[in-house]
Amino acid sequence: MEHTAIFYLGLIPLMPLIGALLIGILHVMTCKVGRFSDGFYGLIAVLGPAVSCIMALQVFELLRAMPVDQRILVHKVFTWFSVGELHINMGFMADPLSSLFLLFVTFIGTLIHIYSIGYMAEDKSFAKFFAYMNLFLGSMLILVLGDGPVVMFVGWEGVGLCSYLLISYYNEDRSNVLAGNKAFIVNRIGDLGFVLGMAFLFWSIGSHGFDYVTLKANAHMLTPAIGLVVCLLLFVGATGKSAQIPLYVWLPDAMAGPTPVSALIHAATMVTAGVYMVARFSFLYAHVPAAGEVVAWIGILTALVSAIYGMFQDDIKKILAYSTVSQLGYMFAGVGLAAYSAGIFHVLTHAFFKALLFLCAGSVIYAMHHEQNIWKMGGLRKKLPITYWTMVIGGFALAGCPPFSGFFSKDEILFSALAGGHKAIWLIGVVVAGMTAYYTFRMIFVTFHGEPHSKAAYEHAHEPPPYMTVPLVILAAGALLAGLLNLPEVMGGHQLVSHWLAPSVLDHHVHAGETMEWMAMGASVLAVAIGFFIALFKFAKGAEVPVFSGFTKFAYNKFYIDELYDAVFVQPYKRIGSVIWQQFDPNVTDGPRRFIAGLYGIAGSAFKVLQIGFVRVYAIYMVIGLSLLSILISQTLN
Amino acid sequence: MTCWRVKAPLTKKNTKKGAFDIMFTELMFFGLAAMTVLGALGLILFKHPMNGAMSFVVTLISLAGLYALLSARLMFLIQLIVYAGAIMSLIIFIIMFLNIQDSDLPDEKGRGMFLLGGAVVITPIAWFLFKIVKSLPGGDTKIIGNGFGGVKEVGLLLFKNWLLPFEIVSILLLVALVGAVVLAGKRGESK
Amino acid sequence: MISNYLTLSVILFSLGILGVISRRNVFTVFMSIEMMLNAANLAFISFSRLHVSMDGQILALMVIAVAAAEASLALAVVILLHKHKGMLDTNIFSLLKG
Repeated sequence: MEHTAIFYLGLIPLMPLIGALLIGILHVMTCKVGRFSDGFYGLIAVLGPAVSCIMALQVFELLRAMPVDQRILVHKVFTWFSVGELHINMGFMADPLSSLFLLFVTFIGTLIHIYSIGYMAEDKSFAKFFAYMNLFLGSMLILVLGDGPVVMFVGWEGVGLCSYLLISYYNEDRSNVLAGNKAFIVNRIGDLGFVLGMAFLFWSIGSHGFDYVTLKANAHMLTPAIGLVVCLLLFVGATGKSAQIPLYVWLPDAMAGPTPVSALIHAATMVTAGVYMVARFSFLYAHVPAAGEVVAWIGILTALVSAIYGMFQDDIKKILAYSTVSQLGYMFAGVGLAAYSAGIFHVLTHAFFKALLFLCAGSVIYAMHHEQNIWKMGGLRKKLPITYWTMVIGGFALAGCPPFSGFFSKDEILFSALAGGHKAIWLIGVVVAGMTAYYTFRMIFVTFHGEPHSKAAYEHAHEPPPYMTVPLVILAAGALLAGLLNLPEVMGGHQLVSHWLAPSVLDHHVHAGETMEWMAMGASVLAVAIGFFIALFKFAKGAEVPVFSGFTKFAYNKFYIDELYDAVFVQPYKRIGSVIWQQFDPNVTDGPRRFIAGLYGIAGSAFKVLQIGFVRVYAIYMVIGLSLLSILISQTLN
Repeated sequence: MTCWRVKAPLTKKNTKKGAFDIMFTELMFFGLAAMTVLGALGLILFKHPMNGAMSFVVTLISLAGLYALLSARLMFLIQLIVYAGAIMSLIIFIIMFLNIQDSDLPDEKGRGMFLLGGAVVITPIAWFLFKIVKSLPGGDTKIIGNGFGGVKEVGLLLFKNWLLPFEIVSILLLVALVGAVVLAGKRGESK
Repeated sequence: MISNYLTLSVILFSLGILGVISRRNVFTVFMSIEMMLNAANLAFISFSRLHVSMDGQILALMVIAVAAAEASLALAVVILLHKHKGMLDTNIFSLLKG
């Protein structure tokens, strides 16, 4: 089957990368002598993602015009390396799944870039920020558009790097740098799993070709055991990148970066790379249901645990961070149960409303002059109207209240769980939906309702400039309306997203009666309502700063997981390192080196005697040499 | 040179003149050779350089005699005049000029051991050269009369075939002269 | 026999080398070098007698001229060294120390 090749598929990731390079070079060349204006850098920075967005739309249109079973566009840029049976091209492939991701990644990326022009104004490293952001976007696009696991891994590593660079952006503060380190290192542990999974995959079926199309065609040759191993190892990579148990610990710390970074990377794009990867490898997971079960259970448990954390946090960004981990848990539950399009649909809606919520939080932080503790805010409803209303829309979407988009996507996942027979997963999912509603509205009520806790800051708060508020409105519209894209048939919709994604992913379609579907919907709406009203009751009139004890204290401290990891992994590792440094290295590796150097020293001292400088002795050496020579010659002449 | 003869009783053995001459030159050779070697040994064994220089003069004069036996008449004269006469006088003059006392001489306690060790080291060289010498075709050493080794012959050769080296040696001598003057002029430079 | 003369030349040469390496007195060393030159001269003249060709004697003449030039310069250097160091020992010159 010949795939159509279009040349500009490679340009889509290239535009932001060129932007990053340009901004970076300009910044480095001018940072000592004076700088260009913010507007100049902002323009270059937004141009890259915007052009990519337009090209992504074109790709989407091209795919729509093609017949369903041939919807693959490829572009091979060059042969990267070719060793033995391994032939890797730097190539890009656009099929329905990647085109969907392309669309929302570039669109939300452009909006967040515009927002950042306002948020990061007057920052002294303005250009560096945009260079990193463009670099991130370019890497994410490489990840999404890659035509095989290796090219995806290039993007995977790139986004990990940019995440580190951007988290540590405010690098005068040591704790930010440590947070960046933590993110990178934990990601790395996941990457190890990913690489091992790739290696096993190549070892078993990769000799015929190592791109998605070929792998999909050869997937039936995998033995079940190897298939299980590959799927689990690849999922380890996903837990690292998408913050699931046990590697989620970096995401709350990553809130040390600027808010647009949290919005783009840690809500909408990078953390969904894990879900994308599982969906991409749906042909593997479909053959190994056990792996899918593992993925789904880990996802839903992560959702539960992080929702518990979110209920007690007092930093507005940390609440949203835990909510991201929780929603990612939902997505993994969806793709684990082979409801790939449901999971991807939730990725889409989540991107909109989570980015919206983060940007609103950024607005609030900007207005309160970088205060992030919700207990120090209050009563901002009148001062920040646009922010308030968009945040409420985002909150309803996150909680899963109809008719907002979050309801449809979350419900799809829960229905797949129930109909597939996984009642426990469904039940936990419903409970978590209730908790989500609770902590979301706790956050909104404490921040925007009631009396302000700090009068001075309240007086200075004002609505941010249009650069920042217009993207909020656009995203709110998306959060509101995106649900229409995948309306279930019981409500008269056509399930557009599921039908679009069908050629790319091997969905396991469940069929259950209409009554079960309405019942499931009713249960989740009930849970959401309960959560909402509890939050309303407790916080709408303004509340006191809470004092934690017992279980709540345990939850506030995140079950002491960070301390546990530190004691079990980090400290022994450091101890081993210092033992090697102090004992092993000087003796075992330096010992032979010093010994040989010592030998040379001794030989040198021995030969030093011959060169003490007395001329007479040199004459004697000459005669001795002559004598030896004549012995030699007289022997040979005999 | 052929007129030198020793009066001996006329026996049957010595009626042959040639044999007698040859035996004479042999005798002369061994005598001169012995003196040469003794002088050389004296040079390397005496402590005071003056004594060594005197022994060396003996060596040089004996060498001149050997050159005469080899029919090199001009070389015999030049050796006597230049080497034994001029160069050795210069050396002895400098030795006397520096007014060497016994205290100035280096304390060569280990002289005997060094000589012994040196003899051991030199023996292979000497043996090697000796073997080469032995392998050469022999020739007689009858004294040749006119036409070989005299002033006229040397002069002709010098100015016909060896003119260039001759001139260069003159320049060399000039250079040495200038050098000696420069070196001697270095006053007040030593610490 | 010509080989007698050549043997004598070899003996003189060896004695010259012996003098150079085993004596420390500057003058003795210098005169031993002169002795080596004389041994070479004897060899030249012996060979010229052997081949009945005058070239050897011309060469010996050149050698004597060179020896004269070298003697004068060497003695000038010896005087300067004596002024510099006050001793006549070849063992004390160690500026090439490295």
